[in-house]
Amino acid sequence: MATESSESEEEGKIRGGNDKLIIEEDLREMSKNAAWSVSSCKPGNGVTTLRDDNLETYWQSDGLQPHLINIQFQKKVKLQLVVLYVDFKLDESYTPSKISIRAGDGFHNLKEIKSVELVKPTGWVCLSLSGTDPRETFVNTFMLQIAILSNHLNGRDTHIRQIKVYGPRPNPIPRQPFQFTSMEFLTYSTLR
Amino acid sequence: MENLLANCVEKNLSQFMFTNAIFFCERLLAEFPSEVNLQLLARCYLSNSQAYSAYYILKGSKTPQSRYLFAFSCFKLDLLGEAETALLPSEDYVDEVPGGAAGHYLLGLVYRYAGRKNSSIEQFRMALSFDPLCWEAYRELCSLGAAEEASTVFGNSAFQRLQETFVTQRINFSEGANIDQLTDSDKASRDTSLWRTEHVPGENQQDPKIRQLGADIPPDTDRQLNTNGWDLNTPSPVISQVLDAPPPLLHKNMLRSAVEGSLMSVHGGRRIKFSEEMSAEATEGSGRRRSARIAARKKIPMSQSFGKDSYRLHLSPSESNCVPSPSSMIEKCRIQSSKEATTSGQSISDIGSSVDDEENKNPSESSPDSSSLISGISEVLNLLKILGNGHRHLLMYNCQEALLVYQKLSLKQYNTHWVLVQVGKAYFELQDYFNADSTFTLAHQKYPYALEGMDTYSTVLYHLKEEMRLGYLAQELISVDRLSPESWCAVGNCYSLRKDHDSALKMFQRAIQLNERFTYAHTLCGHEFAALEDFEGAERCYRRALSIDTRHYNAWYGLGMTYLHLEKFEFAQHQFQLALKINPRSSIIMCYYGIALHESKKNDEALNMMEKARLTDAKNPLPKYYKANILASLGDYHKAQKVLEELKECAPQESSVHALLGNIYKQLKLYDKAVLHFGTALDLNPSPSDAVKIKAYMERLVIPDELAMEENL
Repeated sequence: MATESSESEEEGKIRGGNDKLIIEEDLREMSKNAAWSVSSCKPGNGVTTLRDDNLETYWQSDGLQPHLINIQFQKKVKLQLVVLYVDFKLDESYTPSKISIRAGDGFHNLKEIKSVELVKPTGWVCLSLSGTDPRETFVNTFMLQIAILSNHLNGRDTHIRQIKVYGPRPNPIPRQPFQFTSMEFLTYSTLR
Repeated sequence: MENLLANCVEKNLSQFMFTNAIFFCERLLAEFPSEVNLQLLARCYLSNSQAYSAYYILKGSKTPQSRYLFAFSCFKLDLLGEAETALLPSEDYVDEVPGGAAGHYLLGLVYRYAGRKNSSIEQFRMALSFDPLCWEAYRELCSLGAAEEASTVFGNSAFQRLQETFVTQRINFSEGANIDQLTDSDKASRDTSLWRTEHVPGENQQDPKIRQLGADIPPDTDRQLNTNGWDLNTPSPVISQVLDAPPPLLHKNMLRSAVEGSLMSVHGGRRIKFSEEMSAEATEGSGRRRSARIAARKKIPMSQSFGKDSYRLHLSPSESNCVPSPSSMIEKCRIQSSKEATTSGQSISDIGSSVDDEENKNPSESSPDSSSLISGISEVLNLLKILGNGHRHLLMYNCQEALLVYQKLSLKQYNTHWVLVQVGKAYFELQDYFNADSTFTLAHQKYPYALEGMDTYSTVLYHLKEEMRLGYLAQELISVDRLSPESWCAVGNCYSLRKDHDSALKMFQRAIQLNERFTYAHTLCGHEFAALEDFEGAERCYRRALSIDTRHYNAWYGLGMTYLHLEKFEFAQHQFQLALKINPRSSIIMCYYGIALHESKKNDEALNMMEKARLTDAKNPLPKYYKANILASLGDYHKAQKVLEELKECAPQESSVHALLGNIYKQLKLYDKAVLHFGTALDLNPSPSDAVKIKAYMERLVIPDELAMEENL
């Protein structure tokens, strides 16, 4: 934890974004088992637009900063990566600038685990949740909160077009402590 | 005019000009409404894939032939109840299932689709007793798990039946022989003229023959479908000889020409109709099967007269059970795919030429050579015995025996697509993926148009993690036939290997759309749902697969795995038990059964099951691993350690073995060894989450050491 708080004092700056979303094979999307909610929204641009795989639709907040997106899971899950699609060219002053990611058991004990500043992003922006310590590749948590602290050009409200959250793949074989790595073991491990 | 129109229709049908045939048949029916013409129109509709039209026009017909056609149309339209009532004997109808063996087979299929297993088994058995060459009925019995030994089914009683069949045919026709000048139309006209004796009383040259034949054929008001005729001549032998144009080589055998000549007569005509209906739908599964059956039956005359070699020569590279003979309608019996059209094109011209040849050779011998008949029949039956035996063993999952049986085949028969696919499947079930791969590759190379079994091939490649080859296979299969479920299964497997489970799911669902009864597609769908962690969806898919084929043990296994994930261990046990009942030699299922038992706290049984799994398949390293895991969780660390050390020798590159060993040494307080093994485990590329775990374990190891050191100080 000590290392994490020192990290959060440095602000990572991320410029630009990717057009295509390329994710490593050993990660899978966790968003389906989660409950998503937002702090405020304009009618017609609600939370579902964040999960509809449509980059034309966007969520627009409608209140005071910080704007919050809450992702709650039914049990503790390991998360590794958060990916946002934002576009400065389309959204200009609605584009988020400072983002803080917090994790915890619920609203009462969220702690910041990552803080970034985006600079004119145009596309998919990947925010890794891993710490520097190899033991901290994942964040094991019940809840994730993405807070938009400020926007470009000091805009009040924000637009986000899509969000995806990734974690490691579970062991395909249930109730086993470790996953198999060698061909022989894998060959005999499943029937198809 | 009636004759002319009828000839025209027949000719169009034989040359696949279906819309033309329908047009003329409508004129014919309008001018001369009769049951015969109605049946002819139904045939035209069925050939043109218009089962609904055939259904409407034949509704209410009572003659056996019409009933059979009607039942067939109902079956195509999935109206199983009506098909059943049409086929079953009742007071109104003649006291028998129309269509003989074919009728029983159709009825068997109806019952199977409706889920009435015992009735369907009964019907298939009857089909086989009527006609031992009804191979598809035997296949169905095998897949239902109710097949008898091939040697009994294709044994002496079959021999006698075939002998009777063929001999009576010859007696019937020997008098009607000497029909030399034959072209297609002539033959057709003679046939139709027989039917139309009432209408056209004055056909001179045919009258005497008609009367003769009439004398032979027991009088019956139903001139088209003489039920005795059905019994005597389980349809096909005649037709194939009628329409089969053997390659010129074979004409040398005078016997053949005699037989062919004699068979160019009434019954031939009837049979044309019959088998055409049968072979009408070549793209749908059941149709395919039926056509396969007809084709199989058509093998008899070929082999009986020609002997084994000649008919093999006759076989273009295709499975042994489907004779892709030159005859147009037999050609329609395409089992695998639609690509044999080219053979048919040539075959039609062959018919012409060979018939001409026939004219030259005057069939002087009218007496059949009975010894060649006997040897022919016995050769066919021997072949069927081997194939049947092999197939039965495969579907009972006695894969080693199946392989041995198939080895007995001659090289020529072995290298046919069907047999190669069977052998490949046998290796696949034994988890011998390398051999399965080589067999399937050979099959695919030799017969790139044949798609049956290619779904299993794609699964083999999936297991071997051959992404590129799987991709190529999928592409090739799609280019051959975009409408076959096997191709889409291959594509789905390709996506699944790349972990793109959403797309894989879509592909498998497409396969299901193309053929609802393709069991494997349902099971694969289930696997994809499970990978996406949608366990309800997975359960639904597996159950659907099982409703189609209860003996599809992969689906039982899938259900078991789903319940394991959902932690419903009792349920899981039950599913694995059922799977094991069907395939008692699968060490993988045994392993999972053992895991389920362990989770239900039945640890002794679990350990026994692991032992059993280890003994069943010595090549499978997992039973030892699972056993060690169970022992470790029970606290028996020494035994577990022993097992794992052995395993380490066999599989030194497996990270999980080292990781588990590390844990065990930690429990045994041998911290140095523990660290060593954790380190090795990390070096062997474990998955990221495992890596984190192992590192955490290592950290915790160091602390007790430090504490101990501090204490000493």
